[in-house]
Amino acid sequence: MSETFALPHVKDAQIKQANHSLQFLRVVPGVVLLAAIGYAGKLLEQNVGKYAKTHHWVFPNIEYVLWAILLGLAISNTVGVPAIFRAGVATYEFWLKVGIVLLGARFLLGDVLKLGGVSLGLVAIEIAGALAFMLFLGKVFHLKPKLTTLLAVGSAVCGVSAIIATQGAIDADEEDSSFAIAAILALGALALFTFPLIGHALHLSDHAYGLWAGLAVDNTAEASAAGALYSDAAGKLAVLAKTTRNAMIGFVVLAFAIYWAGQGQAKTVKNKAAFLWQKFPKFVLGFLLISILATYHFFTKDQVSALANLSRWAFLLTFAGVGLRTNFREMRKQGVRPFAVGAIGEVVIAAFTLALVIGAQKIWGW
Amino acid sequence: MPANESTPQRSRLSWDTWAVLAAFLAAVLIRVGVIKHIPW
Repeated sequence: MSETFALPHVKDAQIKQANHSLQFLRVVPGVVLLAAIGYAGKLLEQNVGKYAKTHHWVFPNIEYVLWAILLGLAISNTVGVPAIFRAGVATYEFWLKVGIVLLGARFLLGDVLKLGGVSLGLVAIEIAGALAFMLFLGKVFHLKPKLTTLLAVGSAVCGVSAIIATQGAIDADEEDSSFAIAAILALGALALFTFPLIGHALHLSDHAYGLWAGLAVDNTAEASAAGALYSDAAGKLAVLAKTTRNAMIGFVVLAFAIYWAGQGQAKTVKNKAAFLWQKFPKFVLGFLLISILATYHFFTKDQVSALANLSRWAFLLTFAGVGLRTNFREMRKQGVRPFAVGAIGEVVIAAFTLALVIGAQKIWGW
Repeated sequence: MPANESTPQRSRLSWDTWAVLAAFLAAVLIRVGVIKHIPW
């Protein structure tokens, strides 16, 4: 008798377990696609240059970062990403964070503190300037105040994560956040192609360019890619500057949450410390911890090299994901005004941060 | 990361934290010698 009654519970538990396994399995095809595109990018980098040289063609040396992004863009904007791959493709931010944490092994703690200190000063100026300018632009273009807040946070701090964190904290509409996310992603995609060109035209050092990409490009994946497109060293610096920016997310979101709660249009923040911890990007701590371990020789030289290579593979999956999730048709559907505000804001912020970095370069002589 | 709309029981850890744990697991495996070499 008891078996008869217990059976449905056992079945329930088994179904739940199976559902969990299926959730995990759902991401496998997309992750395989990310790896395949990333690896194809790497093979193209190695072979296209050789082939062009053998046939005496003039062909620019395109790095694997750009190949991976271009392959992803080509799929996303022609045949589209089939449904079976979407869950796995969406894991690209997970790989980005794994890559950032492992990248910590390539930074000695002293460098992190020195560069992070410089970044922190520049980030504080960038965030204040960007927030003020974006709020002003939102008023000029008569955007809804909460949409303006989302665009301001997305431009000033860290793209999509900041927008999602702020949406929940200020009770903004889903529609507003999708407008803001589309604008930030479209502008990030443009930055991938324009930033390296501007950097080369201005003969920026790897150091200056990396800091600029980390300060001016909004989404972490695009900032890392824009840095890596310039050079490996610039990529490292872009990640460090962007990580410093990400660390500020909690404070900025908290400030806006308090403001909107004061206006009676959002929930009051009861425990500010818990709020800050909840919004704080934990991968920043992981990055610092790995950097501390590497500094105090917890890893041998070969092990640091293995960690650095693993970080590169994780970034490779991220770059493939950046291309795959960028769909220009979808972005166009979101309307012109938020995009225009975002575009004007981004151009001004890019110019402002470029001036900051060039000024800092003169002071510190990078 | 996107929300898992149909997940019956949400994990208590964020994707952010899972990424840190995955990176540290890899670091430990490399440190203890389970993974010796990662080519690039």
